[in-house]
Amino acid sequence: MRDAVVIGAGFSGLVTAIRLAKAGRTVTLLTKGIGGIQLGQGTIDIFGYNPDRVTDPLAAVDAITDGGHPYAHFSGTEVAAAVRYLAELLPDVFVGDPARNVLLPTAVGALRPTALVPTSMAAGEVTDGKKYLIVGLARLKDFYPGLVAENLGRTPLPGGGSVTARAVTVDFVAREGEADSTGLNHARALDDPDNRRKLVALVKPHLAEGEVVGLPAVLGIHDTAAWTDIQTQLGVPVFEIPLPPPGVPGMRINEALTRLAKDAGVRVIVGNRVVDHAADGTTLTGVVVNSAGSKTGHAAKAVVIATGGFESGNLHMDSYGTVTEKTFGLPLANAEAPLVHGDYWGADQPLFKVGVAVDDAMRVVGSDGAPVFGNLYAAGGILAGATRWREKSGEGIALASAVRAADSILGEAR
Amino acid sequence: MRKLEADVVVIGGGSTGAGVVRDVAMRGFKAVLVDRVDLAQGTSGRFHGLLHSGGRYVVSDPHSATECAEENEILKRIQADAIEPTGGYFVATPTDDPEYGDRFKTGAEATGVPVNEVSIAELLRREPRVNPKATRAFETLDGSVDGWQLVWGAAHSAEQYGAKILTYHRVTKIERQGDTVSAVICTDDKTGETVQIGCSFVLNCAAAWGGQVAAMADCHGVEVVPGAGIMIAMNHRLVNTPVNRLTYPADGDIIVPVHTVSIIGTTDQKAEDPDRLQISYEEVQQMMDCGEQLVPGFRQSRALHAWAGARPLVKDSRVSATDTRHMSRGMSIIDHSERDGLKGLLTIAGGKLTTYRLMAKKVVDAMCEQLGEQRECRTADEVVPGSEKHTFYSVSHRLHDREEDRLSEQILCECELLTKKMFTDLQDEQPLATFDDLRRQLRLGMGPCQGGFCSVRATGVSHDRGKIDIERATGLLRLFLRNRWIGLWPILNGDQVRQTALDDWIFEGTLDIGHLPQPAEEVLR
Repeated sequence: MRDAVVIGAGFSGLVTAIRLAKAGRTVTLLTKGIGGIQLGQGTIDIFGYNPDRVTDPLAAVDAITDGGHPYAHFSGTEVAAAVRYLAELLPDVFVGDPARNVLLPTAVGALRPTALVPTSMAAGEVTDGKKYLIVGLARLKDFYPGLVAENLGRTPLPGGGSVTARAVTVDFVAREGEADSTGLNHARALDDPDNRRKLVALVKPHLAEGEVVGLPAVLGIHDTAAWTDIQTQLGVPVFEIPLPPPGVPGMRINEALTRLAKDAGVRVIVGNRVVDHAADGTTLTGVVVNSAGSKTGHAAKAVVIATGGFESGNLHMDSYGTVTEKTFGLPLANAEAPLVHGDYWGADQPLFKVGVAVDDAMRVVGSDGAPVFGNLYAAGGILAGATRWREKSGEGIALASAVRAADSILGEAR
Repeated sequence: MRKLEADVVVIGGGSTGAGVVRDVAMRGFKAVLVDRVDLAQGTSGRFHGLLHSGGRYVVSDPHSATECAEENEILKRIQADAIEPTGGYFVATPTDDPEYGDRFKTGAEATGVPVNEVSIAELLRREPRVNPKATRAFETLDGSVDGWQLVWGAAHSAEQYGAKILTYHRVTKIERQGDTVSAVICTDDKTGETVQIGCSFVLNCAAAWGGQVAAMADCHGVEVVPGAGIMIAMNHRLVNTPVNRLTYPADGDIIVPVHTVSIIGTTDQKAEDPDRLQISYEEVQQMMDCGEQLVPGFRQSRALHAWAGARPLVKDSRVSATDTRHMSRGMSIIDHSERDGLKGLLTIAGGKLTTYRLMAKKVVDAMCEQLGEQRECRTADEVVPGSEKHTFYSVSHRLHDREEDRLSEQILCECELLTKKMFTDLQDEQPLATFDDLRRQLRLGMGPCQGGFCSVRATGVSHDRGKIDIERATGLLRLFLRNRWIGLWPILNGDQVRQTALDDWIFEGTLDIGHLPQPAEEVLR
């Protein structure tokens, strides 16, 4: 019997498991596959749009009036504490202030608000008068520096002002004889100091006075010194711009957090989907996984569901339009039709606000507000009420709910 | 104003118009084809992809059955690159009357459509996912055909004979001098320029839009009723060959494997406006139920995309009796000299993609007759450009090509194995094309991820090459994503929801495309 079973290996699952394990609890983390962190952009978003651009995400959390939003369970201070908890788990990885959004250029040149950013992205912060040199790599097809530079240059900054940006493409050979190398293979190549020297030699002739250099986020995967090495050699500030998945910055974070979980004593079991559960009345006694041809039980005093929503497949809409939660068959909030509309750039799709409702302890509750099981908690993308990719709120919600769920299990909740 | 001269102007760039302009040009007329949008953007690109063997009509429409059987053979000869000669099956599911099979067999013999009854064991060997409780099965020469490829092939052939193909040229007026057509006035919607094409004959091949075009020549009351049908593309090939229900033709009775997907069709609803076809929840459910009948487990398969097409059904009380000699089943030619006293204008509607060449022949024959000219049709004998080698389309052809160039070329669209070079080559030929225009010819964004990864690459590549400026690049990306959604949201379920969530994480989460500078006006073409 474990003190807790955590299902899911994204931010919410890993952080819940780590927090419980560090408090001395026995924890098993069960996951169907590699978690979703590497599908994201590697920044810690708290609240970017609501729906207008947010400058102080903590104030925006405090200002939430929609009781169905995940942030309705938290104060800004609590969200900040959760974000700082992650930052302390991964020292030297992130910089930033949870109370202040910065704008970072995206791989199409949009200005994206976020709160904490990997140190390798920090020099990209968009400020009035900044000059950018955006460098593309000819064999990397997910990054077009002209698109980034020209969109950056034509976008008025929210507080007034503008930036200038120009683009250059260099033919960096990530893998000999290959015209189409993935971001990950570029990153692997740049783990090698020799290759970094080659990249620097290609970029250096293009440098101009007073510019910061933006490169696609492929500056090393395992070697944490890769970015600083390139920056030092170029002698100018260098920053990474995240790409579509699989994203190298997310992979780095995923790797670091998974290692941390294991070091903290979490038993991480990958490739095991939870397919059933056992309960004694309204108390869960354990879950059952599909593993290598047989079903295996994992008994636990508490269970945290941190599977994510539709993107992981745990929320599922069938061909009749009925939405179900696949792991426990939990009651879902916001699941009434119509769930999808045809206005692509219009209002949020109701479908993506479907999820489980929770009480302040993050226990999953039914429509009557009563816990479905007294010891089942939820965290992260499975929570109803927010379109995270629009709000830029995914990591903030995941971390705040993870910390709260863990603290509830530890009996330390408010 | 730009001025052009031609003998004949063909209005409408669907299969009829493309077939007609090819035929006209091959008979030595100086021809121009205009379409208000891209080629085969209307009905000819919005069907299920079946190349008829004639089997479908052996009971309901014997004349069409024979025509289909003949044209099937001709098209395989002249347009192999657009066709996959899969063969097909007609299958009686447990709820179908097995005795219909006897009528089917008799009809096939009478119409010259080759069919062959096979055992259920043989059917299931070839088509393992078809309902194992089927009671009878016939094999046919059905195939699958890419409507865009077919139409572009005919258009390129016409160009070789000197025809001009003008897309995004919207007709605003058909002018007359006395009682004869004298010119077609268009607006080039890409540039805003007015274009006058002097001519002595106009062939109105605008199909479901034919009534609107005829009215521009002051010929009113040509009523073409759009009969709307929806189609749903399911991921992968659930069947290897077109599988029909062995029944009198009805809704949702066919699944066709086309490229990497299988398409189920279709419904039939009278629509008011061919530009505003709806895909209702009820129709989607009906198709899903029909799919289950033919292929159990259909509902659990991944639906990728849906679309609706408008069959052009002519309802015209003023068509005179003498016109019927030009009429084939399912097609009508309206001679406006008799109907409206205007010489040099024929309106054509109806017909099917499989018989497009034959239809074109009849139309051009009618025109020659009116002009008093005797010129022979040669379209059945000459291969169209791209099919010279008589190599049929094969679903694995791109995989084969990529094995050759996988180290030297970048792949823009992994779902459809489309390289950057294929994309840029076509963009060089058609520099004003939207990503959807290129998509129809290249299948950009038509696979499972529905543009999740390739749309931004297409934007970046186009902009990088200096083909389009940053406003247009960003606008075209917005347009492409919006248009993909039109076909996604009505059928969104299962794994495609998961894909959509991932795509939204990319577009909005990581890239924040929605907050790029908004265009003053959305780019639409």
